[in-house]
Amino acid sequence: MTWWLLTFSRAAAASYLSHLDTARAMQRTFARAGVPIALSQGMRPKPRLSLPLPLPVGASGCEELAVVEVPDDLPDPAAALRELRAAAPPGLRPLAIIVVGDQHPRPRVLEARYACVLEGDAGAVRAAVERYATEVSVVRERVSPKGRRTLDLKEYVVHAAAEPVPGGTRLSFAIRPRDDGAARPQEFIDLIAGWAEVEPVMRRLERRRVTWRDLPPGPSPGAGRSMSS
Amino acid sequence: MNAHAPGSLDSCSEGWIPDEVARLLARVTRPGRYTGGEFNLRLKPGASPRIVLSYPDVYEIGISNPGLQILYAHLNDATPAAAERAYCPWPDMAALMRAHAVPLWTLETMKPVAGCDLWGFTLPHELTFTNVLEMLDLAGVPFHAAERGEGHPIVLGGGPAVANPWPLAPFFDAFFIGEVEHRLDEIVKALAAPSRALRLQALLSVPGMWLPGVSERPAQRQVFMAFSSTAPVLRPVVPVLEAVHDRAIVEVMRGCTSGCRFCQAGMWYRPVRERPVDLAVEAAEQLLSETGCDEVSLLSLSSCDYSGVEEALTRIRALRPGVRVSLPSLRIDSAAESLERFAADQRGSVTLAPEAGTQELRDAINKGVDDAQFEEAVRATFAGGFTGLKLYFMIGLPGETDADVAGIARMAGTAARLAKDVARGRARLSVAVSSYVPKAHTPFQFESFAGASVLRHRQRLLREAMPRHVRISFHDVAASLVEATLARGGPGSDRLVEEAWRRGARFDGWSEHFRFALWEDAATATGIELGTADLRSDQTLPWESAVAAGVTRSFLSEERARGARGELTDDCRDGLCASCGVCGAGVEMDVLP
Repeated sequence: MTWWLLTFSRAAAASYLSHLDTARAMQRTFARAGVPIALSQGMRPKPRLSLPLPLPVGASGCEELAVVEVPDDLPDPAAALRELRAAAPPGLRPLAIIVVGDQHPRPRVLEARYACVLEGDAGAVRAAVERYATEVSVVRERVSPKGRRTLDLKEYVVHAAAEPVPGGTRLSFAIRPRDDGAARPQEFIDLIAGWAEVEPVMRRLERRRVTWRDLPPGPSPGAGRSMSS
Repeated sequence: MNAHAPGSLDSCSEGWIPDEVARLLARVTRPGRYTGGEFNLRLKPGASPRIVLSYPDVYEIGISNPGLQILYAHLNDATPAAAERAYCPWPDMAALMRAHAVPLWTLETMKPVAGCDLWGFTLPHELTFTNVLEMLDLAGVPFHAAERGEGHPIVLGGGPAVANPWPLAPFFDAFFIGEVEHRLDEIVKALAAPSRALRLQALLSVPGMWLPGVSERPAQRQVFMAFSSTAPVLRPVVPVLEAVHDRAIVEVMRGCTSGCRFCQAGMWYRPVRERPVDLAVEAAEQLLSETGCDEVSLLSLSSCDYSGVEEALTRIRALRPGVRVSLPSLRIDSAAESLERFAADQRGSVTLAPEAGTQELRDAINKGVDDAQFEEAVRATFAGGFTGLKLYFMIGLPGETDADVAGIARMAGTAARLAKDVARGRARLSVAVSSYVPKAHTPFQFESFAGASVLRHRQRLLREAMPRHVRISFHDVAASLVEATLARGGPGSDRLVEEAWRRGARFDGWSEHFRFALWEDAATATGIELGTADLRSDQTLPWESAVAAGVTRSFLSEERARGARGELTDDCRDGLCASCGVCGAGVEMDVLP
């Protein structure tokens, strides 16, 4: 069995897709391109395609990753990439295919870097970011259908910075997942917006760079283990 | 281990949604409803005229409408026009748009709808009418055609609900009556005139066009006689959000002459026209590639009646491994045979529509299905391994008695017994019961709406008589009351729609949004009584002054009389012409040899 690590960007209209809709759009792109995906076993086989790091609704992603299992008589990846690009919807763009064997460990996220624009006073946002840097612990409660959970943002969110841009302030930061999960971008944005007393409405949220463990080296954009731009 | 040429990395910062829209998108449910980005979306920058096509419901419903897909594909691919789309914003988005003064935009260009040359609405049914006003208001287009001037789009209505355009007449500049494919070029040309008045004048000369307050004669319903020789839509817009339907659609037949006396579509889309099997199969092959679907639906009002169904089914299945073919409806009188043929392709459950509970009433509505055929169809469903059966009935049909309603429970009992005996309890059985609403241009157009108290009484009877373990669901009587009022409303009924909208009525077809109290208040304010239609068979009916549907008044009256006598009328495909009045002057049945 062969696995493809397909990198792709998600932007413009496609930024507003949910995780499931993005996966569905990617599956549909393969079907339109005539590139087969292996199916799972069982009564209702499903295409074996997954997106290991969900992208928030409303966010664009410069270099996202799809893990795809393809049949052994797989098509030529270079030709497949051309077909996939032609078949993709506006906003989703396949970038590269890295071919790996089925024994290769699945890539795991080390760090994801984000940026967004917050409307409001740049000085206030910068002050909030500086305050975050000096805090030892910033505990927040997350309420979800699964229940309540507290998490310390300081354990996950690093490299926070703010800079003025036309129409607001660009807030950039990185999230490092741990074995027990990760903070969500919106949680950090809400924190900073709250401290800065600006509307917590984010615009132009981007995931600019993801650093993976166990990503095979190769001529992917931002060569080496880091899939950076 | 290999990697394959990535090329340069696209910038994420390109193609941002405009900030004023992005601000709203961040705060609504399912923002992808408002951003487009679908497969096969067309962009024609700089093209003229700019036409916006709308379906007055939420995106997931509207994107699945085949009619809008036909218009979109034809206008963009075969005319100089650029066609864009806008659907009705969900209430959370509508509230934000008003709060931030952001006008309704199109999915293709994110530009305001109000700047287009022509705004076309496909009008599916009466419970979407307040959504039309909602969209006009959100776009900043004056409600009443009389208030629009140079710089405002021409608002054009079409679709099945224009069989009676009166409840919406003042809000539209024009209505197109019937099938529009062969008139699109003329409409686009009319938009080239240098002023709004001249554009409207040019539209008036397009056959099928009815301009409220201007047209002196009813518009003749248009029939697309090139249907059989024209390919269906081969490159439909495919949503990237989950929509209500996810399948490739091949319209194999248009029209139905089964002659069910309650059915407006059966009268409206006459005569029957069939596409050749070769054309259907070629379309299916291309659609599978263009959509990425693995299911092809053979669309029509009654696909089991399509002459080429067997051959089309076999050949489409053979196109590639794993392709399934589905039919949107099965006829009970041939269901057992159909289920055997389609068993491998049908998923999950089967829907059968006996419509009425006794033979007498089924004969009265010309649904010539007998108990033995029903039992055979149910048995075939369960023997075929389907996991569910849904039975569809109506209450409130003309001439219905409590005994007919008891007959529904009896038929459900028969099905429940077969579920136990044949499926050994492994199949679900459910019964859906809607309230009959008399519609324009049908034999029952003169009949009274049963009324809320009668319908509620019969719902209660049915609930009590229904066997245990059979799930039963009813259509909301209050919504049917509103639908009945609008379906046969005459001049002035628009006041009810506008008043209800002003009081907050939106998405009336959605049970979670339908608020009857608003309609009651609107009825009181306008002096319009809900559920009534002041009709006399010796007078011109309101819709007859706007629409010449093709079926004649004498045919409809005769059919009504035959229904009262319990007499069946044959399908004219079987050779006996019922003289409905549709054929002639270039319009005729066009079926496969």
